[in-house]
Amino acid sequence: MNVFVTPAMLGQVVISGILSGALYAMVALGLALIFGVMRIINVAHGPLLMLGAYATFFLYSALGINPYLTVPVSMLVLFAVGVLLERTLVFRVVDAPELSSLLLTFGISIALVNLAQLLFTSDLRSVEYLTGSWVVGPLALSKARVVAFTVASALTGLSFLFLQRTRLGKAIRATSQNREVAMVCGIDVQRIHLVTFGLSAALAGAGGALIAVIVAIQPEMGQIWTFKSFLVIVLGGAGNYPGALLGGILLGLIEQLASLFLTTQLSEVVAYVLLVLILLVRPTGLLGGRQT
Amino acid sequence: MSPRPAALAALAAVTLALAVYPEFGTGYGVRSTLQVFMWIVLASSWNLISGLTGYVSFGHVAFFGAGAYTGAILIAKAGWPWGLAALAGGLGACVLALAIGYPCLRLKGPYFAIAMLGLNEVLRALVSYFEDLTGGGNGLSLPTLDATVPIYYVMGASALLVTLVTYVIITSRFGLRLMTIREDEVAAEAMGIDTARHKLYAFLLSAAGPGVAGALTARDQGYIEPISVFPLATTITMIVMVLFGGKGTVWGPVLGAVVLFVAQEIVWARYPYVHPLLFGVIIIAVVLLMPRGVLGLLQIRYRLPRTI
Amino acid sequence: MPPALEIENLRKHFGGVSAVDGVSLALESGRIYGLIGPNGSGKTTLFNCITGVERRDAGRVAFNGERIDGLKPWVIAQKGIGRTFQVIRVFPELSALENLMVVTRGSRAAARARALELLTFVRLEGLRDEYAGNLSYGQQKLVEFVRVLMRDPSLILLDEPAAGVNRTLLNDLLDAVRRLRDRGKTILLVEHDMKVVMGLCETVFVLDHGEKIAEGPPGVIQTDERVIEAYFGR
Repeated sequence: MNVFVTPAMLGQVVISGILSGALYAMVALGLALIFGVMRIINVAHGPLLMLGAYATFFLYSALGINPYLTVPVSMLVLFAVGVLLERTLVFRVVDAPELSSLLLTFGISIALVNLAQLLFTSDLRSVEYLTGSWVVGPLALSKARVVAFTVASALTGLSFLFLQRTRLGKAIRATSQNREVAMVCGIDVQRIHLVTFGLSAALAGAGGALIAVIVAIQPEMGQIWTFKSFLVIVLGGAGNYPGALLGGILLGLIEQLASLFLTTQLSEVVAYVLLVLILLVRPTGLLGGRQT
Repeated sequence: MSPRPAALAALAAVTLALAVYPEFGTGYGVRSTLQVFMWIVLASSWNLISGLTGYVSFGHVAFFGAGAYTGAILIAKAGWPWGLAALAGGLGACVLALAIGYPCLRLKGPYFAIAMLGLNEVLRALVSYFEDLTGGGNGLSLPTLDATVPIYYVMGASALLVTLVTYVIITSRFGLRLMTIREDEVAAEAMGIDTARHKLYAFLLSAAGPGVAGALTARDQGYIEPISVFPLATTITMIVMVLFGGKGTVWGPVLGAVVLFVAQEIVWARYPYVHPLLFGVIIIAVVLLMPRGVLGLLQIRYRLPRTI
Repeated sequence: MPPALEIENLRKHFGGVSAVDGVSLALESGRIYGLIGPNGSGKTTLFNCITGVERRDAGRVAFNGERIDGLKPWVIAQKGIGRTFQVIRVFPELSALENLMVVTRGSRAAARARALELLTFVRLEGLRDEYAGNLSYGQQKLVEFVRVLMRDPSLILLDEPAAGVNRTLLNDLLDAVRRLRDRGKTILLVEHDMKVVMGLCETVFVLDHGEKIAEGPPGVIQTDERVIEAYFGR
């Protein structure tokens, strides 16, 4: 256990936390959207991210282009996948008891992961593109993480603009607040569900594309992202979209701080215990939000 | 509402047949049947919490693993006889269930599922961390002992016991109260039912079986490591078995365990990656097309008693 | 003797909206009270705060002189408060009989006997083994009504008991309510059907936007300006 902590170490940790936090926030926003609009917990969220990572990997291997250019492509592909899933499977459990949607998305997540294992094998893949760090004073900032941070922040910002300013975005927010009223106001709720799911998948795909440059790619890589996205939503408050942003940063910071004082293995335990504690004290998440 | 004599006679016959099977069955046959017993214990236990109360436990294999490690450590490090170690495994799993259940069962449905999802990973991390005790990633070896046949009997008895307990619960008002939690928790509470306590009891009961089964399996295999006792595949299989057979029924989990295990052995063991994929597809199919499972469907269609 | 129910300055808000905004009232035992008000005035939220389904933000609730705010719903129910819901909440996959039997502890035979007695009271004993979810709307309403009586509560909260119920059934229900009152029970009902309220209740409370704007006998309430304004606007 590390007892002697310099300001530089602390600074490093804080920066790392913020860098990963934005990524967490963006991915979690997708999950929060589905939860808010359709009241569904998408356990398959992580595997969607994984597919985004693979998309980037294959594009990069085949075309040799800058993997960051594949982000929009991954997003489009995943948007299509999301729409397909919603249209064929998920829409059937939107009004069903929670158990059904949980189990359904659970089934989808298993199917996706194992499909990936069949098609891509579980060999580790990686995208060796942007390695190394920028050194700023006493801090070392991983280049790939900084770019991921920038892109994730931009996409999150765009998402919020979309939700706030565009008609579709407002319709999405209206539906998530009160579906019956939205319907009465003439909003095509079926279409909103479709778009929201697609959007959520796209955000997950973007996350996957960005993370493909940083970590090893394998079919199971998404599972931990599902869990962390839940954590973010809990930290930020269910149904509270700006909360997801704060929750993401918080998670990033907590994780990095924990790994400073504990081994990485235990930092996962810390995250979990944190989750349970928060849910106990504030079942609607740290920043409040609505009851389910 | 006592069961018909014909049904009891059939059950007695089957039990007798299984009891004498080791005498003339092959080693493979005995091991396989032992595995079926194990799945019956797991599936029926999962049914107690998730089938009856509707609180979906996604990390239930954690209790299997906890029991396995408790039993293995007691056998390997403290020289306990495996019978006692198995009981301790069940107890250890219950303690874990109390620690996790007390806080987590307060959470409403989806949040409970989220919390349980992470449990598995956390336990695996903890096992790796406390290496001295658990052997960490290298696993834990038990002194060699060929006890497959006695373990067959104990596991079989456990399967019988869990099924019996399920029957008793479902025919009791305690069981009815558990079901009201699934039907409408708010109304149940308004009617004076202490849902928190009931959920906890069901949860504890549902952890004991897997705990014992875990310890027995550890003894039988002679070796355990984190990946072998905390695999997500086990939770998935448990869930599919119950969903397929009929959640909330007595024999549904048993039916699911037998059918899916047999199918798995015959067909899918040859294609290791297709088999979990198929499970995923089955979950999707069952949730969409047959959410009550085979027995659940029959129950509704032919107005069968709840003790099916 | 303390009032059966006493609510002091109860407040409950959701986000920025005040559902219940400083409501105070007292119920004497053995009487029938009505709670009326336009939609969204906070009536069901008030019920929820009393029975512990919602956590109130401020104020106190006392039952027979004993504070019950902050207690768990089942504890409050066990103390002797029963309620029905605006949207029927029977247990659909339990039979009518089981719906009732599941409520009480103690001897199974005694519970079964009492459940049968109550079902017979509302003429549903023939459907006792039918899944409650398969019963008609009116039948479910009756099951929910007698289910409340299983525990013999001294305070009964009825949320829109007349909604969707035909005249004959309604008269039976109202008769039952009067008989309960005669046995010393206290009843508070939320209702939109004014004829029911006027005919049944001895005192009526009127809520609007979370506040109590009037209180008194039905005849007086009917002509109260503020009440008329609340319902019909200025």
